[in-house]
Amino acid sequence: MSDTDATGRISTSSPVTPPAPTATPPDGMRRIRMPQRLRNLEFWLLLMACFINASAIVLVQLGALGRIDTQLVLLGAGLSVLVFGLHIVMRFVARDADPFLLPIATVLNGLGIAQIYRIDIAFGDSGWESASVRQIAWSAIAIIAAIGTMLLIRNHRVLFRYTYLSGLIAIVLLLLPLVPGLGQEINGARVWISFGSFATFQPGEIAKIALAVFFAGYLVRNRDSLSMVGTKFLGMRFPRARDLGPLLIVWALSMAVIVFQRDLGTALLYFGLFLVMLYVATSRLSWVVLGLSLFLAGALIASQTLDYVHARFENWLVPFSDARYDADPGGSYQLVQGLFGLANGGLIGTGWGRGSPDITPVPQSDYIIASLGEELGLAGLFAIFALYVLLVARGFRIGFAGQDDFGKLLGVGLAFVVALQVFIVVGGVTRVIPLTGLTTPFLAAGGSSLIANWIIVALLLRLSDTVRNHPRLVIDG
Amino acid sequence: MSELTLLVLQLGFLLLLWVFIFAIVYALRSDLFGQRVRKLQTDGTGATPPGGFAAAPVKAAAAAGGAGAAGAAGAAASGSSDSPSKLVITSGQKAGTEFPLGRDEITIGRSSDSAIIIRDDYTSTHHARMMLWNGRWMIQDLDSTNGTFLDGARVTAPVPIPLGATIKVGATTFELRR
Repeated sequence: MSDTDATGRISTSSPVTPPAPTATPPDGMRRIRMPQRLRNLEFWLLLMACFINASAIVLVQLGALGRIDTQLVLLGAGLSVLVFGLHIVMRFVARDADPFLLPIATVLNGLGIAQIYRIDIAFGDSGWESASVRQIAWSAIAIIAAIGTMLLIRNHRVLFRYTYLSGLIAIVLLLLPLVPGLGQEINGARVWISFGSFATFQPGEIAKIALAVFFAGYLVRNRDSLSMVGTKFLGMRFPRARDLGPLLIVWALSMAVIVFQRDLGTALLYFGLFLVMLYVATSRLSWVVLGLSLFLAGALIASQTLDYVHARFENWLVPFSDARYDADPGGSYQLVQGLFGLANGGLIGTGWGRGSPDITPVPQSDYIIASLGEELGLAGLFAIFALYVLLVARGFRIGFAGQDDFGKLLGVGLAFVVALQVFIVVGGVTRVIPLTGLTTPFLAAGGSSLIANWIIVALLLRLSDTVRNHPRLVIDG
Repeated sequence: MSELTLLVLQLGFLLLLWVFIFAIVYALRSDLFGQRVRKLQTDGTGATPPGGFAAAPVKAAAAAGGAGAAGAAGAAASGSSDSPSKLVITSGQKAGTEFPLGRDEITIGRSSDSAIIIRDDYTSTHHARMMLWNGRWMIQDLDSTNGTFLDGARVTAPVPIPLGATIKVGATTFELRR
């Protein structure tokens, strides 16, 4: 076994690893210039990631066009330069950050761009009209936002001070699409705001980060009353009625999202995030039981009273009935075409650019998983899921290794929000749960989602750097 | 471009994707399977690898919930010359080594997450932790198999650590100094 592990700690050469370069070392400690093993590992993984992304675009062109067009390859190369820019920034400001998050996010982003580009070819879009060029531009903005986050937030505990402010920001962002004139309704859901005709933005995506910060700060401050007291019933300790307030407020918030913004997925995402963070903070199963029954009751009532929710449930249960398939607004046509696409892909897929994902409506955003599944097959789809698993597992690991309670909760919350979002989208496309409109993190076309997820990656990187910057002492018996 | 070439290229791409995933998994293998311990384990309960997303440490931390903020404020307020500034190892492998005390809690154990990692036969994965509570350093035993001793007495509940008192974890003893 080598003398370092993946966490980059040297266990044999020096008894005390040096603290952060910014901190002045106390007397009696030597400051050693360590080779940046973690960053070097990241560099090689990033090279591989960029190679995967470039070959995906080239394969799309070979499969769909039969020739290589250098223009988009060059645009993709520009993105690689930015990713390496983030890598170099981390060499200076976050030397001990996790080396796996950045390459994984890069590959996911690149696969998304390649698939969106393939759909553009099928639709005959090019230039600024095409979703892929816009996706590359948004990716560039998102990576720059991530670099900005790394530079701006040097210690995640700063966020703890702004707990209630971020709660307020989350609420404001959620309410923005409801403002007349600013908000825009697309396909029935009112979750976008538009700046003229050139760009739309989904503020709810950014709100999930603010909510994670708020929940983490709030729970660290208040979890004693939420976890210690209560009566025991059915082998579980249930909270007192007066401690139910926060749960009920978040529940009401997600129900309001379902009713007013007509967005089932976002509601599920926020509520699930709160429940999991509550569970991690208090380690009491009764919160999960209470919360899930509240949400299921709400969803059932919504499915009976709200037409669009009812249609979603019907599509989920009987998608192949003629009546559902032919129903024009809100029928199961999209769902069924997505399933046909996945079936057409089979085990190894039709090959980049050689399937027909363009039959499914919106194959580049909500249904990008079905498009990728058709062209890369089960083997490729499972590779994508494995990447998500690794990304989320690193996030949990960072939370687990954290030294302060706020950092622990924030790490778990940010990682879980990615996991839950992937589950909601993929579960919807594969008919495990009713289909709801959420973006697949990093893959789907959409600027707000990209920015939010890259900021999540930047925050997790920052957390992991702080975790490892702690002075450590290793005693081998 | 023939069908066969495209098929081979497609297979090559999928292979590349999986090679990337396994490269990552290989690089973090010690996180998945735990760090290798030098000697044979006699301590059965502590043998769980540090991986696995357990809620237990978070729950344990709940006992001192908000201690981070409250303790930090307390330390700033007291700030007297009485507060210890370092931890000194007095016996064991690294006798004489000093460890700076900040304001963050210090975890002790065999797990690679710990601030002070003691890898010997007597230390549990998460053995004990020290935290600043109202300006005083406290020690808490985290249900370790072989116990934590403060001046020879086994620590059962969190207790404050006087300056110069001997704390024993496994085969290592240390004390707090100004």
